[in-house]
Amino acid sequence: MRRSTAAAVGTLTGAALIIGVRLSVTPTAPAAAAASNVDLTNSTPTPTTSSKKSPAAGSKNKEASPAKTSAAAKTGLKDGTFKGNGATNPYGTVQVSIKVESGKITAVSATFPLTGNSATINPVAIPKLKQETLTSQSAKVAAVSGATYTSQSYNESLQSALDGAKA
Amino acid sequence: MGTVVSIELADDQPEPELRGMIDDVCAWLHEVDARFSTYKPDSEVNRLQRREITIAECSADMRHVLDACADLWRDTDGYFDAYAAGPLDPSGYVKGWSVEVASARLAEAGSLRHYINAGGDIRMRGGSPDGEPWRVGIRHPWEADKLSWVLAVAEGAVATSGTYERGDHVINPRTGKAARGLRSVTVVGPDLALADAYATAALAMGEGGISWLAKRAADGFESAIVTDDGRAFSSANLPAAI
Repeated sequence: MRRSTAAAVGTLTGAALIIGVRLSVTPTAPAAAAASNVDLTNSTPTPTTSSKKSPAAGSKNKEASPAKTSAAAKTGLKDGTFKGNGATNPYGTVQVSIKVESGKITAVSATFPLTGNSATINPVAIPKLKQETLTSQSAKVAAVSGATYTSQSYNESLQSALDGAKA
Repeated sequence: MGTVVSIELADDQPEPELRGMIDDVCAWLHEVDARFSTYKPDSEVNRLQRREITIAECSADMRHVLDACADLWRDTDGYFDAYAAGPLDPSGYVKGWSVEVASARLAEAGSLRHYINAGGDIRMRGGSPDGEPWRVGIRHPWEADKLSWVLAVAEGAVATSGTYERGDHVINPRTGKAARGLRSVTVVGPDLALADAYATAALAMGEGGISWLAKRAADGFESAIVTDDGRAFSSANLPAAI
């Protein structure tokens, strides 16, 4: 007899990932992986999701056979990679993907936009000055801008040469 | 003030009228000096500094300058600081502002084609008499008779702050010591008071001034910078002459 309890793919926060799936099934061949849409409506996606918060699937899943359990029960989790519906928060739209192997969630990743209204947390184009080679040239100019000259250094300045020529 | 001012009026008015306009600019600059010079014991700025008068009793120009310095202190994250050396000294703003006002007065008097260069800070209008923009060179930070950039500006302001003339006159308010890192900072934009203050603030910031100035491009202020070790930087839309 097959009995399975699917854990809710509920709270995808950094703190509490999917707890796991308890399955009690007879080992069969794993279902072919297929991407499909799982409704992650109750999830609160965050870009800090990372694999260091690995799901505690194994420890709670006392009843499942470790490696070969098929998740292809009606309310169970199928093996494969699934993308949730995008969830929009103030920083933009975040989409979460989960990977299920042998009925356990083995990886979670989140993608978040790099453009649009995510300017507050995503890298924005930072205006920069370009570096160039410092040139030293003589050219015909009407005036010269420089650090404030003293009266003495004015006399030796290019500006005074221009002023003298026009007087 | 000890600042040498060069004025070129390229208008068609009769010479006596042009000379009258120049006299008016000189009178204005002397008025500014009397009010704002920290070297004159009885200047308004010193009397305010000694609390002989209150802000409310100050002239409209003084109150404007104090307000502008407060705004700049905020906008430059404290690097433009009229109190950086201790007692109140708004010269970093007054220098550019007084020329900005002088150019506006010339325009009101009918001069639409001119430039005023006060100690290296320039406000220009109308382009040069040959029909081209005014060609303005930026003095090379090591070679006094050479230029590092040539700009073409018909209308606007060019201000340069640097350490090669008066030495370490710009203080970094965070360290309390002379600013280090940048040898020459030139800002080009629509207003000489702001261009001058931004150039001075960036010099005070040191290398951090390079990226701070890059952001001012959003408000129309372009820049050209040379570091103490000879690296040169410029903004994308610096109006360089071809």
